Amino acid sequence: MPCDASFSRRLRAVVLAMAILSFGLVTGAPSAYAQGATAARVAQATPSAAPDAAQAAPSPAGAAGPAGPTASDAASAPSDGASSTLASADGATTEPPADTRGLDEEIQNLKKDVVDLNKDLFVLEEELLFPANTQVAVFVSMDVGEFFAIDNVTLKIDQKEVANYLYTPREAEALLKGGVHRLYLGNLKVGEHELVAFFTGKGPNDRDYKRGATIRFEKGIGAKYLELKINDRQRKQQPEFEIKDWE
Amino acid sequence: MAAAAPYSLIGKEAPDFALHALVGSNVRLSEHLGDVVVVSFWGSRCGPCATQLNALNRSLSTYQSVGLKVFGVSVDDDQVRALEYAKGQSVTFPLLLDPSKSVSRLYVVDNLPMTVLIDRGGVVRHVHRDYSAKDEALYLKELRALLNE
Repeated sequence: MPCDASFSRRLRAVVLAMAILSFGLVTGAPSAYAQGATAARVAQATPSAAPDAAQAAPSPAGAAGPAGPTASDAASAPSDGASSTLASADGATTEPPADTRGLDEEIQNLKKDVVDLNKDLFVLEEELLFPANTQVAVFVSMDVGEFFAIDNVTLKIDQKEVANYLYTPREAEALLKGGVHRLYLGNLKVGEHELVAFFTGKGPNDRDYKRGATIRFEKGIGAKYLELKINDRQRKQQPEFEIKDWE
Repeated sequence: MAAAAPYSLIGKEAPDFALHALVGSNVRLSEHLGDVVVVSFWGSRCGPCATQLNALNRSLSTYQSVGLKVFGVSVDDDQVRALEYAKGQSVTFPLLLDPSKSVSRLYVVDNLPMTVLIDRGGVVRHVHRDYSAKDEALYLKELRALLNE
C-alpha cells in the first residue's frame, strides 16, 4: 500500500536521524573529560616548557612545586590555569581550549532533538502496531479507595486473558491521587465483544476481596477506549466497580 | 565435573517483574532503579538458603542507607510451606512468591540458592549460583564496588 510505504520511509528516516544524533551525543558528551585529557596530553607533550611557564606566570597550579604542574594538575585545572599557560608557552603547535559553554548548549540542544525524535518515533510505532480502526485501550482509575485497596486486576476479552497486572503500593497511591493506568492496548476487529475484569484486593475491614465486572461493547471503525472505574459507595459501605465506554 | 555455563544475563538489562510478598506489600523491580538490587532465589527444601538469607540480611543492615535493596524470591510450589519457612527466617527484606516460576525462568535459575546482583542502572552485573561462607568476601567486594559506582 502506498500509505504503508510512506510510513515505513518516515520511520526509517526518524531511526536514521536518531542514530546520527545519538552518535553525536556519544562523541560530544564527555566534553569536560575530553578537555581535561587534552590538557593532560599537552602537559605530557611539553615537559620542558612546563617549569618555564610555571615560573613565568605563577598560578595556583604553578605554585605546586619547582617541577611544575603534573598531568593530573593540568587535567584538573580550570581552562585559564596551567593548561592554557602551557598552551601559550608552546606557541603555535597547540590550540586554545574550546569554549565549554557553547559545547554544553550544543549538547543540550542535541539531547532535546533526540527526545523529540523519540516521542515522534513512539507515536509512529503506536500508529503502526495499533491502527486507529482496530485499537482498543483499557484504563484503570480509582476514586477515594476507602473501601478497597487494589492488589491485582485481570482482564479478559472474549474469554481470553489479555492482561494481569499486580499493583504495588506506589502504583495504588498514584491511582488514588488521580492517576489513570493504561492496563491494556490491543487490536480488535469490528463487531461485538465481551470484556470481563476481575479486581482483587482488600475490601472493607481489611478482608480479602474479589469482584468482577462485565461489559459487552460494540467495536466500530475508530479507536475504542474503556475505563475500569473503582469507586466507593458510601451508602452501602462497599466499593463499586464500573466499566465506562468512552466513544 | 564440567564448569557451569556462563550466565546469559550478565551485562544485560535485568528482566522486570512484579511479585506478591509472603509478608508485606507487592514488589516491582523497576521501581528500584537507582538502587543496587540483590535478588536471591531460594526454596524451603534448600539447606544453604537459610544461611544465605541471613548473610544477605546482615549486608542489608550495613548498606541499606547507601541504596541497597534485597529481595528473596521463593521458587516453592507449595505456598503454605514457603510461608512457614519464611516465618522462620528473621530477615527484614521482602520474601516474594513466584508460584508460576515465571520470574525464575526469566532469570534462568538452575541452582539454589542463586543470587543476582543488579547495578543502579538496572543491569545484571554478577551472579552466584551457590553459597558457601568462603564466597562471602567476593560477594561483599562485588557489592561494595556496585554501591560505589
